[in-house]
Amino acid sequence: MDNQPLNIFSFPQAIVHLDADAFFASCEQAIHPELKGKPVITGKERGIVAAASYEAKARGVKRGMRLFEVKKVCPDAIILPSDYETYSLFSIRMFDILRRFSPDVEEYSIDEAFVDLTGLRRSFHGSYESIAEKMRNTIETELGITVSAGVSLSKVLAKIGSKHKKPNGLTMIPGREIHLFLGKLPVEKVWGIGANTSAFLKKHGILTALQFAKREEGWIRRYLSKPYREIWHELNGRSVYPVVTETKNSYQSISKAKTFTPASRDETFVFAQLSKNLENACIKARKYRLAATRLIVFLRQQDFTSSGVEITLSKPSAYPIELFELLRNGFQQIFDAKALYRQTGVVLSGMVAESSIQYTLFEDTAKIEKMSKIYASMDRISEKYGKHTIQHGASLPAKLQAQHEGERGDVPQRKIALFKGENKRQRLGMPLLHIKV
Amino acid sequence: MPGITDKVELQNRIREIERFYRKSGRMPSYIEIGALVGFSSKNAVSSLVENLEKQNVVARARDKAGKLVPKSMAMPVKVLGTVEAGFPSPAEEELVDNLSLDDLLIQNREATFLLKVSGDSMTGAGIMQGDMVIVDKGLTPKSGDIVIAQVDGEWTMKYLRKRGDTVTLVPANPKYQPIKPKNELKIAGVVTAVVRKYR
Repeated sequence: MDNQPLNIFSFPQAIVHLDADAFFASCEQAIHPELKGKPVITGKERGIVAAASYEAKARGVKRGMRLFEVKKVCPDAIILPSDYETYSLFSIRMFDILRRFSPDVEEYSIDEAFVDLTGLRRSFHGSYESIAEKMRNTIETELGITVSAGVSLSKVLAKIGSKHKKPNGLTMIPGREIHLFLGKLPVEKVWGIGANTSAFLKKHGILTALQFAKREEGWIRRYLSKPYREIWHELNGRSVYPVVTETKNSYQSISKAKTFTPASRDETFVFAQLSKNLENACIKARKYRLAATRLIVFLRQQDFTSSGVEITLSKPSAYPIELFELLRNGFQQIFDAKALYRQTGVVLSGMVAESSIQYTLFEDTAKIEKMSKIYASMDRISEKYGKHTIQHGASLPAKLQAQHEGERGDVPQRKIALFKGENKRQRLGMPLLHIKV
Repeated sequence: MPGITDKVELQNRIREIERFYRKSGRMPSYIEIGALVGFSSKNAVSSLVENLEKQNVVARARDKAGKLVPKSMAMPVKVLGTVEAGFPSPAEEELVDNLSLDDLLIQNREATFLLKVSGDSMTGAGIMQGDMVIVDKGLTPKSGDIVIAQVDGEWTMKYLRKRGDTVTLVPANPKYQPIKPKNELKIAGVVTAVVRKYR
């Protein structure tokens, strides 16, 4: 039974999933070529491993590990502060390179993409395998990082493929061979199947992805909800999830959270951190012409316990000044003067289009008008002179103090090695090679 | 006798129509041509089209609708080359597509990196300490290119010289000696430009 193919065609359609290998660490190795082949770790400013190169992973370094633990298992690890500016530039470039091959590119995350290759064999005079290989090669030559890829009939299968051979691998899963890849794959490893569902499936004797894919449709319909029925189709090589090409231009919620070191119990300082997050979230909301109807406030302590509170707004807003009072109330409900805090965050949710806001008769429209003018000018000034050129007084204590202890040594080089004409907030949108020549 | 300015004006009109064609993927209607070139009368448009047809820039389809089809227009137009005589006037110069400094300095954006020069081995080529060089990782290095290379474990910026099978890295400063790689030569990219800002 198990060696019976799930699908008789090889590639009725072809979707590739590309996943950059140890992305942040690889970017660092690309701009610091002397670090190639060495254990590199990013996340210095946070005190935990954000990304580890394959060399570091081989030595037992894992994501999320504390840096002092890293020093025990891998004393020669090179620990760098995160340089998100460079990582985003690499990410944008990776997607731009992929768009040279196909217009259907989905930017799934900073380091992952889905590309629909269906019908491109003729224009590239080659197989889907050769197109995927060419994509990988171009990214490697031009960016200096490697990606792993999987090509198959659906997104779920392509994702299984890209994980199959990592790093720097390419795996083809044609329809006729799907069953060969699913037979040994535990069902919880399938994209979209969580712990609860896999526990349920196990009770019905489904341990592998193949056993799941082979269940008859009636059973699937009776016991599982729509998302899992879709995964079932995808595993059988029937593509349900389209490659979504448009870049995100709307949000259901916007969250901003920042850690700071050392941890603090200073009420004014912790509130300033929160206020800065609120300002940032509102800037983003205004950029997308959205307003929030709910506000979530949370604080995280040194021992990682966190507390939060959700507040419903009386009317949609993206202006901090309207939200400060609620923010303060929420903060006071959860702030414990005896606790040490390391992170604050806000989530704006229940987003609605700014244009759909209706004002009641009792509101002071002149005041609203004035406020919208003030924030529009603030946004314009920020665009011209950099973020937080103007900000609310409540956020000031957060600005006056470095976000992280010993920040001077933990700032990515790109922020220090400025060219004439660049400044702290505005730099050329191009990665810098750190080679001494 | 049609003067140079008339020709320039005609070229401008062709460019407007061409831009429309490239943007929308179809030829404009007569009314749209009028809007593009600033004619309010259909008659004026019609004589313009006639003129363009004579010059084989466009043609009218033979069906009853008489829709326009692009002819030479669909090919890249060499703008300044069409002016046969006379001194180019400042107005003509405006015809050339504007090239931004970015376009000039960057060929393949995705493969382009910046590098701040710290050494003095290329001063003879006009590359000074503190200069910003633009490095393209996608280009195939040729003899004579300035390259960023790793030779036997050391990074350097030099001229790449290929003679037969031998490769030499040549500095542009008498203080340094040319390098012949013993074991390994890795080229990280080709220097395509140097930028120095004074104020």
